[in-house]
Amino acid sequence: MSKPPEETFVEALKSAHPDVESAEVLRHKRASVVVKREAFIEVARSLRDDFGFTHPVSGGAIDYPKENRMQMMYYLMNPESRFTLIYRVDLPRDDLTLPTLTQVWKAMSFHEREAHEMFGIEFEGHPNMIPLLLPPDWRGGHPLRKDFKGEGVEE
Amino acid sequence: MTEPVIEPDIMRISWGPQHPMSGQTRILLDVDGEKVHRIIADLGFTHRGIEKILENRTFLQGIIPMERMVMADTPNIGLGYVAAIEEALGIEVPERAHWIRSLLCEMARINSHLYAFGLQAESTGYFPAVFLWTTVDRAVILDLFEELTGARWSLNFFLPGGVHADLPEGFEEKVIEGAQYMRRRFANYWVAMVENATFEMRCNDVAVLKPEDAIRLGATGPVLRGSGVAMDVRKDEPYAAYGDLDFEVITESACDSMARTKVRFREIGQSLNMMEQIANEIPGGPIKTRAPLFARAKAGEVLSRVETGRGELGVHMFTDGGMNPYRVKINSPSLRNMYVFERLAELDEILVADIPVVINSIDPWYLDSDR
Repeated sequence: MSKPPEETFVEALKSAHPDVESAEVLRHKRASVVVKREAFIEVARSLRDDFGFTHPVSGGAIDYPKENRMQMMYYLMNPESRFTLIYRVDLPRDDLTLPTLTQVWKAMSFHEREAHEMFGIEFEGHPNMIPLLLPPDWRGGHPLRKDFKGEGVEE
Repeated sequence: MTEPVIEPDIMRISWGPQHPMSGQTRILLDVDGEKVHRIIADLGFTHRGIEKILENRTFLQGIIPMERMVMADTPNIGLGYVAAIEEALGIEVPERAHWIRSLLCEMARINSHLYAFGLQAESTGYFPAVFLWTTVDRAVILDLFEELTGARWSLNFFLPGGVHADLPEGFEEKVIEGAQYMRRRFANYWVAMVENATFEMRCNDVAVLKPEDAIRLGATGPVLRGSGVAMDVRKDEPYAAYGDLDFEVITESACDSMARTKVRFREIGQSLNMMEQIANEIPGGPIKTRAPLFARAKAGEVLSRVETGRGELGVHMFTDGGMNPYRVKINSPSLRNMYVFERLAELDEILVADIPVVINSIDPWYLDSDR
């Protein structure tokens, strides 16, 4: 039997981009790639153009205050081999800036707007960075951060 | 929402959230005469912070707020979360429970699509009757839900390790009877709606979404399949009993509002077949395995995917050894389709009067997109 497509992909990606921090198969039909911020856009373009990840699914972040970092995650799908890739980049909590991925997949616009309001991540070059779900007069900070206290509670 | 700048010679119309056809959202339409120049979706009116709520609930408690995301489709949504818990805790599910889950999921898909037709008929402005028909006919499904689970809408019937209760005596026959009734009714719907000249006039060639655009913009569910892309989680990664059930992934090649409606119609046919197949072939055996009520999952992450009535739902759960999930990221299908809706005005010429038809052909559920 031939290898599952996600394993072939992980090997091909590692040889094409030796600088990715990690690329692994999580389980059947799930792969995960972590990149450094410097290579973020370059690898993303390569994922779209060379590896066929033309179908953007979603995006979101996770907060690790104890390790002083956040991780931005993008979910991508290859319409041919039908497995999900979680494309991740780690950000230090005191410098939450990332070039916008809307330059590669336009549809990440909503998900980056959500990550911006929920986690306070700045997406440089995003064409329309306005709140997505929170009201315009929201003063409660970033709700999905682990140190969020509640609406109206000042830091 | 901070409103984007209005371009010269463009008028901005605020549509919703009180408009009868808008649902619980607001849409800004920049119009140039009758032509829609730009669509801006203003979401968040029903944002309840479900992702944050789930962080403060044990795995079992979380099933209830999670299911509130789409009331017409609670088994599918609940299954996404329950499947994530099972994978995180390493719980096995008996075969019969998988079949009961698929049965409820397909019945909920019919219920959810019925609601979509009702609204689609309303939005074409000619069939107030169809909305009433669908409301009456869905009672067949809801009665079956009630008999099996005790609830008509929010079932909370799946739990880690299986389902709450076994099928009551004679339930299989009632399922077959219900499916046969539905099939007769759908023959009527097809003639009254899809083959009706007015409905065709309102829906044909409206808001064409080409397959490459549907993929590029991240469409999902009937919107993606209405553009001819055969993508369905039930086939791609069979969960529950879908590996053993006979069904095909429905696609339509016309890519317009009519195609998206037809996909839902034909999917109901598939769901009815599956209901009958499950009633006839359901295997015996236990319906749940013993799973601890307050379990601790070891640190890690799981991503479960299910096909809901509106498309692919992803539940990405992170665990850290505690009794609650550390973080749950919900990849909601309606949010993806709302982005497609925003872009539609750039892809095809849409008139202001077409907007209700277009949005109901997309069928977003705002509590799902806002979470």
